[in-house]
Amino acid sequence: MSSPNNFIGIANLPNQRHKIVSRKGAHFTIMVVGESGAGKTTFINTLFAALMREYQNEEKRFQKQLERTVEIEIIRAEIEEKGFNVQLTIIDTPGFGDYVNNSDCWVPIVEFIDEQHLNYMKQERKANRRNIDDMRVHACLYFIQPTGHTLKPLDIEVMKQLGSRVNLIPVISKADTITRADLTAFKNRILDCIKFHNINVFCPPIQSDDEDTTRRNTAIANAMPYAVIGSEQDVVTPDGRRVKGRQYLWGVAEVENEEHCDFKKLRNLLIRTHMDSLISTTEEVHYEDYRANRLTKEGRTDDDPQVRKLFDAKMKEEEDALRKRFTEQVRTEESKFRKWEQELIDERDRLNKDLEAEHSAVQALKAEIEALKSPVQARSPRK
Amino acid sequence: MSAEVEQPQIPIVKKKPNCFVGFANLPNQVHRKSIKKGFQFTLMVVGESGLGKSTLINTLFNTSVYPNKEHLEAEEPPKTIKIETITTNLEENGIKLKLNVIDTPGFGDFVNNETSWKPILEEIETRFDLYLEQENKVNRKKIVDERVHACLYFIAPTGHSLKPLDIEFMKRLHHRVNLIPVIAKSDLLTEEEVAGFKARIMEDISYNKIQIYRPPIYENDDPETLQENKEIVLRMPFAVVGCDKEIEMKKKKVRGRQYPWGIIDVDNEDHCDFIKLRQMLIRTHMEELREYTNEVLYENYRSNKLIASGNEFGDGGNPLARFEEEKRAHEAKMTKMEAEMKMVFQQKVQEKKNKLMQSDADLHARHKEMKEKLVNQRRELEETKRQLESGARPGTPEKSRKGKGYFK
Repeated sequence: MSSPNNFIGIANLPNQRHKIVSRKGAHFTIMVVGESGAGKTTFINTLFAALMREYQNEEKRFQKQLERTVEIEIIRAEIEEKGFNVQLTIIDTPGFGDYVNNSDCWVPIVEFIDEQHLNYMKQERKANRRNIDDMRVHACLYFIQPTGHTLKPLDIEVMKQLGSRVNLIPVISKADTITRADLTAFKNRILDCIKFHNINVFCPPIQSDDEDTTRRNTAIANAMPYAVIGSEQDVVTPDGRRVKGRQYLWGVAEVENEEHCDFKKLRNLLIRTHMDSLISTTEEVHYEDYRANRLTKEGRTDDDPQVRKLFDAKMKEEEDALRKRFTEQVRTEESKFRKWEQELIDERDRLNKDLEAEHSAVQALKAEIEALKSPVQARSPRK
Repeated sequence: MSAEVEQPQIPIVKKKPNCFVGFANLPNQVHRKSIKKGFQFTLMVVGESGLGKSTLINTLFNTSVYPNKEHLEAEEPPKTIKIETITTNLEENGIKLKLNVIDTPGFGDFVNNETSWKPILEEIETRFDLYLEQENKVNRKKIVDERVHACLYFIAPTGHSLKPLDIEFMKRLHHRVNLIPVIAKSDLLTEEEVAGFKARIMEDISYNKIQIYRPPIYENDDPETLQENKEIVLRMPFAVVGCDKEIEMKKKKVRGRQYPWGIIDVDNEDHCDFIKLRQMLIRTHMEELREYTNEVLYENYRSNKLIASGNEFGDGGNPLARFEEEKRAHEAKMTKMEAEMKMVFQQKVQEKKNKLMQSDADLHARHKEMKEKLVNQRRELEETKRQLESGARPGTPEKSRKGKGYFK
């Protein structure tokens, strides 16, 4: 490694990256899954500090009992903060877990996630890739009811399915209904359950060059599943502070108080410190896995050198076999001809012998005639 | 598979959070991650030999990217343009940069340089193809980017204007790579000559509609950045002097070249544009160059290629499909080969057969003819003999002396 002795400007590269990202802004897609009344909408509105989603009409809430469908609702918003633009997509899943029989109620959700991956895949393959519509889900919040017991079978099934497809973040909603001690026990039981069932949840990267960052990351990772309190209302605490929280007769449950709940940690995880990590994990792990699976199912394999070698060898083999087959044919044919030629020679010899015999007969006759003639000739007078 | 999945049109609402949510932290997150991951850049240098390409690279990165070349007199000049890549790992304040420098020795050094640009364009496109191939793989976890992010083109300090070779080269390459023209060894020209030369070069460039890399202007740039970029553009094409040796000037060590009439200081903006070139290439626009290569140059190349191959909506070069295609081609070839061989074979066999049948027929015909002759002769002789034996005087004895008549 060579080390230049005075400033070149390489140290500026991260700043250049910073500038490019600032200019381009970001796309962020978040999905919330949980039973009705879990506080999904409140949480979203609290998280983004804006009324992102109107509350559902109380009467309409359970209207769909007979239709038995989980809906997918998409909200798209553009948020600008300090000149930084975010295209935010919120995916809500009303109707989830609201029926008497909830088996397979997660299917539409899982299908939706896969469809976003497939859709991106199709767009990515096209010749023109400008303006790709990307709705791949970067984070999926799963709302666990604050029962204080453990995960329900439905939770386990859904989390299993979600965890293998997206960055799954389990959340305990309405955490102000559980005491601290109960909460710790509840969290531990949930974690045990997650571990036991091999559920894949999002783990933020912890290691960092900076000790403070590492400590903060560890705290975030350890707080999972995140117990949250949602509130859009400003209330006044007994000591006179105006905070987002819930006013009870016995005190104020503050949203942004780390003693009261994990909202701040979750917000850090989702936005302030690990948003990039959520995005890149989605693109580099979940999407790539989906794509590789899908392509493999389509019968595709990589053109690796070994396959190529095998393929080339096979082609060569086939060619050689063809040649060999022909050589063989030529050889049989040739030997046939050689036999024929030999027969011809034999025939010629036989015929020659026949002629020779005839000829000798002729010669013999001639000699006889000569012999017969000679006395006559001897008798004849000389001229 | 359906051709298109229609996304429902969802209205986008503008929202303003009541308090700081933290989205604005994302660039910082990316910043932090980029430090960890390090950077990578591929730079190509093109220019006739002796224009100081290696020296400039060494000066730019203040490192011996290039080992000192041995100039051996006896060395045979190359017959073709070579492509050489040197990789150097640089680090500054903990920021790592993997720098690939592609050199093209031999460019413009021949008697006929008409197609000098060709191997260079091919190199750039091959690197695009390589990336495209990786992008289409099932497993893309180990994708490497070896695309050329910028090309420094060295113009000889003739003081006239661009040579036809320069124009040809730039015209051929400007849609494939970020072109950065530089005037090499500008210490050979006076200040006035440089100004005139630059003006003529820029005229040539705009007349030939050559697209050279210019720092992009964004609406939300701060005035300082805008001013900086403006100054950079004004200095184009950068007149540079390269020097990796230090000399003493006024008890201060500077990188420069000493002449009897003075010292040219590479790092002095009044003397040459080295600082501005480095400013753009490394300090402010290195990542922009990469971004432009990826988003514009590569995308254009890719979509043209896919459209040309009729794969506009296709699966982008499925290797398996390619296998199938090759297999079919191979099978067709085999069938053709077999048919040809069969034809030749059958023809030969037929010829041989005919020949043998002919000889067979000839043999028997000739035999028959001779046999007849001999039989006749014998019959006559027998007649003569009988006559002689019966005492009658024979007629003229037949002296048939025809050859033996054996077949040969």
